[in-house]
Amino acid sequence: MRLGRDGIAGLIGLAVSLALLPYAFGLPQLPIVPIGPGFYPKLVLTFMAATCALLVLQDLIVQRRAAAPPEPAEPAPTRAYGLVAAAFVAVAAYIGLLPLLGFRIATVLFVAAFQLVLERPTTLRQWLILVAVAVGTSALTHVAFEKYLSVLLPRGLWTGW
Amino acid sequence: MLELLGNGIVTVLQWKYMLPLLLGTFAGVVGGSLPGFTITLTVIVILPFTYGLDPLAGLAAMTGVYVGGSTGGLITACLLGIPGTPSAIATTFDGFPMARNGEPGRAIWLGVWASVWGGLLGALFLVFVTGPLAAIALEFGPWEYFSLFVLAMAMVAGLTESSLLKGLVSTAIGLLVTVIGTDPIGSVPRFTFGSEFLAGGFQFLPVLIGIFAFAQIMTDIEKLGDPATRAKAALRTTFEGFSHFRVNWEIFRQPFLLLWSTVVGLIIGILPAIGGSASSVMAYDQAKKFSRTPERFGKGHPEGIIASEASNNANVSGSLMTIMAFGIPGDAVTAVMLGAMTIHGIQSGPLFVSQNPGLAYGIYGAYILAHPLMLIICMAAMPLMLRLTSVRLAVLAPVILVLCVMGAYALNNTMSSVYVLLIFGVVGYALVKAGFPLAPLILGLILGDQIEINLIRAIMTDDNVWLFLTRPISGGLLAAAALSVALAIWQHIRHQKRTAGEEDTDF
Repeated sequence: MRLGRDGIAGLIGLAVSLALLPYAFGLPQLPIVPIGPGFYPKLVLTFMAATCALLVLQDLIVQRRAAAPPEPAEPAPTRAYGLVAAAFVAVAAYIGLLPLLGFRIATVLFVAAFQLVLERPTTLRQWLILVAVAVGTSALTHVAFEKYLSVLLPRGLWTGW
Repeated sequence: MLELLGNGIVTVLQWKYMLPLLLGTFAGVVGGSLPGFTITLTVIVILPFTYGLDPLAGLAAMTGVYVGGSTGGLITACLLGIPGTPSAIATTFDGFPMARNGEPGRAIWLGVWASVWGGLLGALFLVFVTGPLAAIALEFGPWEYFSLFVLAMAMVAGLTESSLLKGLVSTAIGLLVTVIGTDPIGSVPRFTFGSEFLAGGFQFLPVLIGIFAFAQIMTDIEKLGDPATRAKAALRTTFEGFSHFRVNWEIFRQPFLLLWSTVVGLIIGILPAIGGSASSVMAYDQAKKFSRTPERFGKGHPEGIIASEASNNANVSGSLMTIMAFGIPGDAVTAVMLGAMTIHGIQSGPLFVSQNPGLAYGIYGAYILAHPLMLIICMAAMPLMLRLTSVRLAVLAPVILVLCVMGAYALNNTMSSVYVLLIFGVVGYALVKAGFPLAPLILGLILGDQIEINLIRAIMTDDNVWLFLTRPISGGLLAAAALSVALAIWQHIRHQKRTAGEEDTDF
């Protein structure tokens, strides 16, 4: 018996809701309120478990009906999942470095690195645009937020800037 | 009422409000015209800039984004055949063929003028119908509110084209997120597992920004591997000679088309969380059915463009009515507006207009004034917008992400909101890749607390749970919710028969 994408997603949802349900049942009952703090979470988790179970069931039926995978009519579009992973890593690194390097330095590095990840410049003009966008984004957001909107942006623990 | 409206317009005409409205409208037109950027993403990007502003100035900027974005989507819809926003989808059906037939100027300006007239007609309803709607909402007790929220979620989950079950699971995930933190009655910690990070629960806006922005940007990045996407080269278009007077004549010689498309957009806008794309497609479909020349639709027929654009701008006024009368966001954009209102300590709902007339009529004024502003922006800055539509994703994406991070950080000047943003960014992208729609999740997130509070209030008032069914309005709303789910199941079965095995990304 094979599970498709929906079935796996349904199983994950079912596992999460079943794992949390005992916790919801263990929440204390308050003396002044007829229904305790666990009442609503129990409803939500039961609803989630039921819909996830139905999703798994639906997927099993679909998988059983489709005995052989259909012939693709045209080649599937190419997807750059490597770029997506790199983009997430870059954002995580940016968020991690923000309190250490400070907004201004971290933003310049992030915007430059992100552009490099997505599209490597080949000409001098493209390199100049990359640097200008990185520095410009950092400078403009800093001015807009700190000077005009009174939002104190993160200062760097390492740089003090 | 007219005096209050006049005051609202005069207030917004001050530079303090006019400048944010102008900048918001400009950002909306530009954001709307960038394929894949969407109005929601534009309003998310604009959001942090509104934190430090007066509440009306911030909401005026967002209203401008909403109005401008609803129109901006037609630019690439007509010129590239790619709707800049989902709400411009039906505009591509006739706008693109008309542009390819050598009339790009006529196609775009028919759309822009239809947007203006549709939006202004919608404003009439916004001003005069919101009050009576709020009066109806005032009759609601906790039973009716609970049932109304259930109906809203059933409708949104039911509208998920790919799978009703996935829509329901997505709703449940949204509701589950709101349960984390302390309970609203006794402040008992729930699902916090002793973590300080989880103790306060998740703030709505970082979750929303993370889910929507990351899902959108990462999906766009993923497509960079596709040669067809790379081939979408820079836009270089020159407009043929055309007359604004003639374009307006084309719109006004069919007043019924304009009026009916506006009404369709308005009704769809009032229904919670359905959105502009449904309204434009429905108005297009209606226009085709009523047309004397239905065979010309899809080949560059002006009626198709007028119907779609009048409808999607009127949809904005419908969504604003829902948020102001019931406190329920009409779509993701109004969800962000609702979040912004909360930041400023404003409670939307049936008492909003009567308790905050200055702010409410100011929003009406901003909505009305956004239309002529949008027209002026389109007239003055069309060449610039055409250039901006060709900005590369490699440049755009990091700038948007920085603004998203700042948007989350500036909420309470702590990094914890930024961590929430990243966590839900990953969750949002994973859900989209697994084929789960995000709209039901967002609605679950927004309404989760209110559902729980109203459920508890109802049971604390009277522990007879049958009251949810026996009170007429509440019972009617729950029946409508059940009907909505039943309809969705029927449509889903029909859809599955038609498109077995197709994969689509549904935001």
